Amino acid sequence: MTSAALLIRDVRASVGDTVILKGVDLEVPFGELHAIMGPNGSGKSTLCHVLTGKQDYTVDGSAELGGIELLDKSVTDRARLGLMQGFQYPVEIAGVGLREFLEEIADERAIPNEQLEARVAAMAGEFDMEPFLDRAVNVDLSGGEKKRSEIFQMAVLAPTVAILDEIDSGLDIDAVREVAEAVESMRSPDMAVVMITHYSRILRYLTPDRIHVMMNGRIVESGGPELAGELEDGGYEAVRERLGIELSALPPRRKAASEYFTDTPFDS
Amino acid sequence: MPSRPALPLRPESIDQLNGQVPDWLVASRRQGLGFFEKLDMPSSAEEVWRYVDLPFRLEDLMLAPPPAAGMDDGDDVAGSLGSMAGQATIIDGTVTDLQVNEEGVVFVSLRDGLADHEDALSVLFGSGIAPDLDVFSAAHHAFAHDGVFLKVPANRSVERPFYIDVQATAEGTVSFPHITLAIEANAEASVVVGFRSPAGIFLVVNPQIEAFVNDGARLKLSTVQRFGYDTHSIAHERVLIGRDANARLGEVGLGGRLGRLHLTLDVAGRGASTDLVGLYFGEQEQTLDYRLFMNHLGSNTSSNVFLKGAVEDDARSVFTGLVKIEKDIAKVSAFETNRNLVLSEGASAHSVPNLEILSNDVICGHGSTVGPLEEEPLYYLMSRGLSEARAARLLVHGFFEEVINRLPHPALAAPVREAVNRKFVQAQQEGRV
Repeated sequence: MTSAALLIRDVRASVGDTVILKGVDLEVPFGELHAIMGPNGSGKSTLCHVLTGKQDYTVDGSAELGGIELLDKSVTDRARLGLMQGFQYPVEIAGVGLREFLEEIADERAIPNEQLEARVAAMAGEFDMEPFLDRAVNVDLSGGEKKRSEIFQMAVLAPTVAILDEIDSGLDIDAVREVAEAVESMRSPDMAVVMITHYSRILRYLTPDRIHVMMNGRIVESGGPELAGELEDGGYEAVRERLGIELSALPPRRKAASEYFTDTPFDS
Repeated sequence: MPSRPALPLRPESIDQLNGQVPDWLVASRRQGLGFFEKLDMPSSAEEVWRYVDLPFRLEDLMLAPPPAAGMDDGDDVAGSLGSMAGQATIIDGTVTDLQVNEEGVVFVSLRDGLADHEDALSVLFGSGIAPDLDVFSAAHHAFAHDGVFLKVPANRSVERPFYIDVQATAEGTVSFPHITLAIEANAEASVVVGFRSPAGIFLVVNPQIEAFVNDGARLKLSTVQRFGYDTHSIAHERVLIGRDANARLGEVGLGGRLGRLHLTLDVAGRGASTDLVGLYFGEQEQTLDYRLFMNHLGSNTSSNVFLKGAVEDDARSVFTGLVKIEKDIAKVSAFETNRNLVLSEGASAHSVPNLEILSNDVICGHGSTVGPLEEEPLYYLMSRGLSEARAARLLVHGFFEEVINRLPHPALAAPVREAVNRKFVQAQQEGRV
């Protein structure tokens, strides 16, 4: 086993002429929880998408998961290698039950059925997910329930690297605490967790091993848990001023898939 | 069974259909014949036939002769239903087999019904769908000569389903299977109609189903259309729902080169209600064509329509749904949803929900979407390690699962689910989607 679960070297990404990531370096050892924080437009969600292979960015550099290069792989293959993203907006999958979904994944990834059943049973107990197993994935769930379902899926599938994209967004303070507790109980020596977040409040309830601050497409500062205190007090503005960084313009927003749908207007 | 040759759709053929029939039926046939001779084949220039191309003329077809033998391969719909209240087979418009396992209900062929139940039939038979609706309804009124009549008497509740297996087998013919359902006051009945024909044989089917759901009665009625590819089916269905009565309808459309359903629901009596759940899945050059007319005629009536469809290859689907709410009625609720997946570039789905509201006291909703599989859910599934093909399969399965789980006959879920999944998986394996 290599020393780092995730090793990112000089990752650059652009969309058309817009450069979003300008050389990101990051090393996350097994068993550790790292937080990547930054203001809107700093590139932290792009980093997540580049790692999972979501969009047609032009990407340079290297990202290795347990020593295996990810960036030349498909979304599916990266997941099979052990990368798993917890979504900021978990997608509703109508008509497909959560248990059924996990069975499909296990079948495709040749996880024996008994092994899956045992893990589902154990983790459903741990994360209070029994009532949701036979309901459609994410359909009619509250924001907090959706995030808990994401973490439950991670606990069942046990990825090498878990990336939590804004797992705390849109939640009230009680739900943030619940999600933080769930993240803590998901952690294991065989898993590295990368938590991407805009707000520092979730850091009140869990303690990352390292905190990285992103601005303008780079990691501009890395430190221990104490960095959360500075961000809580002075925000990104304080870090920006201390480091003397000018913020560049936000990258253009991508068209949502739903915008390709044509809703037939009703004439009455 | 009478034997006769295939006949042309001409006036002189009518006398050879059943021999001696009551005067009211002679008159009804004459009236149908009059409209048949007057009405033209429909053109896609007419709104109600838009997007539909008919590659035949009715007058070029022969009236199917009495059938020699039906399809002998397994009928998965019949197999899924378990114990039945009655079972009938109609082949090429003629009833070839009928059994009834319940006492005190009428479940007969129309041929036999004319002898024993003429009182009811003289009122109901052919009264559901107007002969001048289009040339097909006119031809049906003129030439339909057999079918099934079900009457469940007042206050009688029959839990097991009646199953009617409608087949078409004779090349180059048109057949007119007719089904009349009379559910009398406060009675309960459950009916499944399956349609099938062999692949690779050009033929036309023009079924009519008329259902009279009397005051306080409840009807569950599902149709499962899985005709062979070269079948052109133009079906009419009308359900009249009385005071405090309820009709739950399921419409499944999978087969046929053309599978058209002209469906009229009259939510007529005070407190009447209906739910329509359906799905269709077109491939190759199929056209699946749904024309729904939902008429709210009474106060405190409610309707809910939920239809989902998918098209792949060069298939086309059409849904037009007109919800009409008459004036001077109150407390009406009407909802209509139609969602469509377009899985290939050459395929198209047309969805036109419409409301005509003449009353003020209504709650209405409508929704209509047409589009490909969404990128976000695909990505979500793939990010869990599913291949793109498997992710697409799971999404198509889930898309239909929402309607399959709401069909009025839960027993139909398994065969319908399997047929839908098979269609998409085959297209995937052959690289068509």
